[in-house]
Amino acid sequence: MIGRHLFTVVLAGVLAAPVLGAVPKNAPDITLTALSGNPIRVADLKGQVVLLDFWASWCIPCRRSFPAIDALHRELQPKGLTVIAVNVDEQQKNAYTFLEKYPHTMTIAFDPKGAIAQAFDLQAMPSSMIVDRRGRIRFTHEGYTDKTISQFRSEVLQLLAESE
Amino acid sequence: MMALTARIVVALTLAAAGVSATGCATVQPWQRGLLADSCMIFDANDTTAYMTHWQESREGSMGGFGVQGGGCGCK
Repeated sequence: MIGRHLFTVVLAGVLAAPVLGAVPKNAPDITLTALSGNPIRVADLKGQVVLLDFWASWCIPCRRSFPAIDALHRELQPKGLTVIAVNVDEQQKNAYTFLEKYPHTMTIAFDPKGAIAQAFDLQAMPSSMIVDRRGRIRFTHEGYTDKTISQFRSEVLQLLAESE
Repeated sequence: MMALTARIVVALTLAAAGVSATGCATVQPWQRGLLADSCMIFDANDTTAYMTHWQESREGSMGGFGVQGGGCGCK
């Protein structure tokens, strides 16, 4: 009888684990280097909704995601969205060539050694994370399709509506 | 004497296997810039694509020249 109850408890625990594991993780406390050379500490951005987009000049889908995310930045920056586009090119000159081709207003940061990408446990290129006002990673996107940007918009608006 | 030689051969073989096993490395998604270069694609131009297709048909070696994509890891 006890064994049966124990089995039920263990089974419930196993089934609930994925749900319990879905508790949002805090964004790693890292410092990025912006295009301007200024440091950006992610922990200092608490209170803002932050979209971190990892891109590279060699990443084909990034040619579509980069301008779309920049347009989203222009649209939602006045409402409190901060976008940081983190470049992971090992050769920074390739990133500069890309940036000349794709005009932007969002903040650009560089991660040539992949340390930031590693801290965020990147699984694919491009990848994007949306961090809430409390500094927790609430949404993660891997890859990019034309539907992704509308998902970004609704998720960002949801987080902007939340209080700190 | 033979037994000793056999042991040495086995030990060296195992050591070589161990060393070569460490030669494998996981390329992270953000490290695939070079692999994504067009020169890494087997059929980067029409001539190569035609030659590859011809050779695959002739030798029945479909897939022997790799699969699609330059390995950039893009989804």
